[in-house]
Amino acid sequence: MTSAWIYGTQGAEATAQLLAELGFSPHRVAANGTLRPAQGADRAPSLALILVGDDPDDPGEPACAELCARLAAEEELGEVPVIIAVEAGELVGAEVAEGHELLVAPFSLEELRARIGRARRAVHGVDHDDVVRVGGLELDLATYQVTVHGRPADFTYMEYELLKFLATHPRRVFTREALLARVWGYDYYGGARTVDVHVRRVRAKLGSELAGRIKTVRSVGYRWEDG
Amino acid sequence: MATGHHEFVLRTVEERGVRFVRLWFVDVLGLLKSFAIPVSELEGALTEGVGLDGSSLEGRTRLREHDVIAHPDPRTFQVLPWRPDSLVARMFCEVCMPDGDPFGADSRTILRRVLEQAAGLGYTMQVGCELEFFLFAALGEDGAAPRPLDDGAYFDLTPLDAGSDFRKRTIDYLEAMGIPVKASHHEVAPSQHEISLAHTDALSMADAVTTFRLAVKEAADELGAYATFMPKPLAEHPGSGMHLHVSLFEGERNAFHDPAPGVPLSPAGRAFVAGVLAHARELTAVTNQWVNSYRRLACGFEAPASVSWTLRGAAALVRVPQRRPGRAEAARFELRSPDPACNPYVVLALILAAGLRGIERGYELQAESVDDEPAPGDGHLPRDLREATDLFDASELARETLGDHLCDAFVRNKRREVDDERRTVTEFDRSRYLRLL
Repeated sequence: MTSAWIYGTQGAEATAQLLAELGFSPHRVAANGTLRPAQGADRAPSLALILVGDDPDDPGEPACAELCARLAAEEELGEVPVIIAVEAGELVGAEVAEGHELLVAPFSLEELRARIGRARRAVHGVDHDDVVRVGGLELDLATYQVTVHGRPADFTYMEYELLKFLATHPRRVFTREALLARVWGYDYYGGARTVDVHVRRVRAKLGSELAGRIKTVRSVGYRWEDG
Repeated sequence: MATGHHEFVLRTVEERGVRFVRLWFVDVLGLLKSFAIPVSELEGALTEGVGLDGSSLEGRTRLREHDVIAHPDPRTFQVLPWRPDSLVARMFCEVCMPDGDPFGADSRTILRRVLEQAAGLGYTMQVGCELEFFLFAALGEDGAAPRPLDDGAYFDLTPLDAGSDFRKRTIDYLEAMGIPVKASHHEVAPSQHEISLAHTDALSMADAVTTFRLAVKEAADELGAYATFMPKPLAEHPGSGMHLHVSLFEGERNAFHDPAPGVPLSPAGRAFVAGVLAHARELTAVTNQWVNSYRRLACGFEAPASVSWTLRGAAALVRVPQRRPGRAEAARFELRSPDPACNPYVVLALILAAGLRGIERGYELQAESVDDEPAPGDGHLPRDLREATDLFDASELARETLGDHLCDAFVRNKRREVDDERRTVTEFDRSRYLRLL
C-alpha cells in the first residue's frame, strides 16, 4: 500500500488522519534524527510530509532544510515527493527548497489532496490517479492494468511493480541493487539477478517495439527511455 | 504474503473480467494437477487456502486420503494467454497439512525448502533449459507409430518446416506468461522441436517447465496437432532431452567462475560437478523417470550412457562449455541426461543437493571423457527403470533431500510401472517371435 511518512509533531495526528482518508497509510517518524519510521519502513514511501511548527523550542520540530538535504542524499529516498507544511505565522523565513511543495497550515483535506498531486507530478510526471502513457504503453496506476497498443498485457505483481517504477522514473539509471531495494523492498535471496530475470520477462511481455524502452546500461543497471 | 500481492490479484481479476482461477500443483511425478475456483472464492482461497485430498499428489498409487490445504502463491498469478474469449488465470500452490506443516508429497514445497537451505549457506542456483519435443499430425491408432508433420532436418527453415507457425504461437504464449525464450529451432528428427528458455532461479524454472509443457500442448491443439514430451516416440530417430544449464552463485559472484584464463570451472565448480556425477546413478530415476526414458538413453544419438564429463564431446552426461572471455556470470555446466517428461522440481532439488554435497565434502572430479569415449572408471547409467528405481530407493541423498513421503510414493509408482511393462506383450515380441517360434 502507498505509505506517507510524517516528520514533525505539530498537527501530526490530524495530518495522519487526513492522509489515511486519502488512502495512504501514514507513519510518523520519531524526532530522534532518524529518517525512517519505526514501522512501514521496508520500502520507500510515496510521500514525505514535513510539519514545520511555530515553537522553536519544540524538540519535535525538524530542521527542515537539513532534513530535505538528508532525504535527497539517500538513494532510496531521494525521489520521494516532499511536502512542507508551514504554520501561517512562520511563512516569513521558512526554508522551502525549490521543487518541494509548500502547504500552509492549517489546511483542508482538499488542499492536501491537490498539493500531494502537484508534489507527485513534479517528481514522477504522474499523480496518484493518473495513467502513465509512453508510446503505445499505458499503465493505469489505480487498477494495475497495463495495455500495449490498447491490448491488455498481463503482468505478475512484481513485473508490474518493476515496470511502474521504471516508467515513472524516466531517464535515470538505476543499479540492480537500487531496483531491488526500491521495487522489491526486502532482502530477496535471488539477489541482483532477480532484477535481470524480471527485466527480461517484462521486455518479453512488452513486445519487441516497447521492449527497447528499458535500456541496459552496461555494468551499471537499467534506464527507462520515454523520449 | 504481502497484501500488495492479494490486492493486485483481486483487482486484476476484477478489471480483466477473469471468470475462473486455476490452482495448480504437481504430483510426485511432476504431472500438472489443477482445480478451478470461481472468482467469488478467490479472496478466501488467498487468505485461508483451499482444502483438497492430498492423495492426488501421490501419482497412480494412492494409499489413503489425506486432508491437505493448497495455498495459492499470488506471486505466480498469471492470466493464461490461450482461449482469450474466456479469461482464466492460474496460480501455483504450496500444499500444506491442516496444521500448516508442509505436505511431504508436494514437490514444489520441497524444492523451495532446498533452495532456502542453500540460500542459508549463501548459494543460489540459476538454471537455463533446452526442451525438445515432438509435434505429430495426430495421435497414432492405439500403439501405432504417430505420423510426423514434416521431414525437416536440423535447423531447417523452409516451407517444409510446418512447425514454424506452431513455434511462433508457442513462443508468443510463453512470452505472454513471462517465460523468455532464448532460441527455437527444428531438431534432428522429423517434427522434433527445441525451445531454449533463458536462465532464471530454480523455482521459476521448474514452474516455467511445467507451464511450458501445457503451453506447447495448447498451441499444438489449436493447430490440430499433438505435442508430446515422451522421451523416445520414434525408434529410428533421436529422443527428446531436457538439457539443464546450471550455475551457482555465492552472493553476486558466480561460484563456478575461475578467474585464471583457460580454466573452465573453479574448484567449487569442479566439486559441484563431482557431486552431481557421484550421485548421478541414484538420481537417474528422477531425471529419467519413465520406462520409455531408457529407450532414449539406450541408443546413442548423443544421449548419455555413462557417468562422464567432457569439455568438447557431445555424448557425456555433463558438458562444461568453454567460457567466453569476460563472461564470468556465464560459467556453468550442462547436464544432458534429463528428459522433458521429468518432474523438474525434484530434479532441480536433487541436482543442487548433490552438487552442494560435492562442495561440502570436497569431492574430486574424475578424469575428463575425450572423443565421447568413457574415461577409465566411468560408471554406466542405469539401463532400465527397475535398476534406476532400486538405486533411488536406496539413495540416502534422495531421502535426506526429498523426505520419505515423496520418495516412497515415487518408488511405489515406479515399481508399479515396471511391473506393468513386464506383463505387456509388445510389438517387439510379436515381430520377433510370432513367426519364428
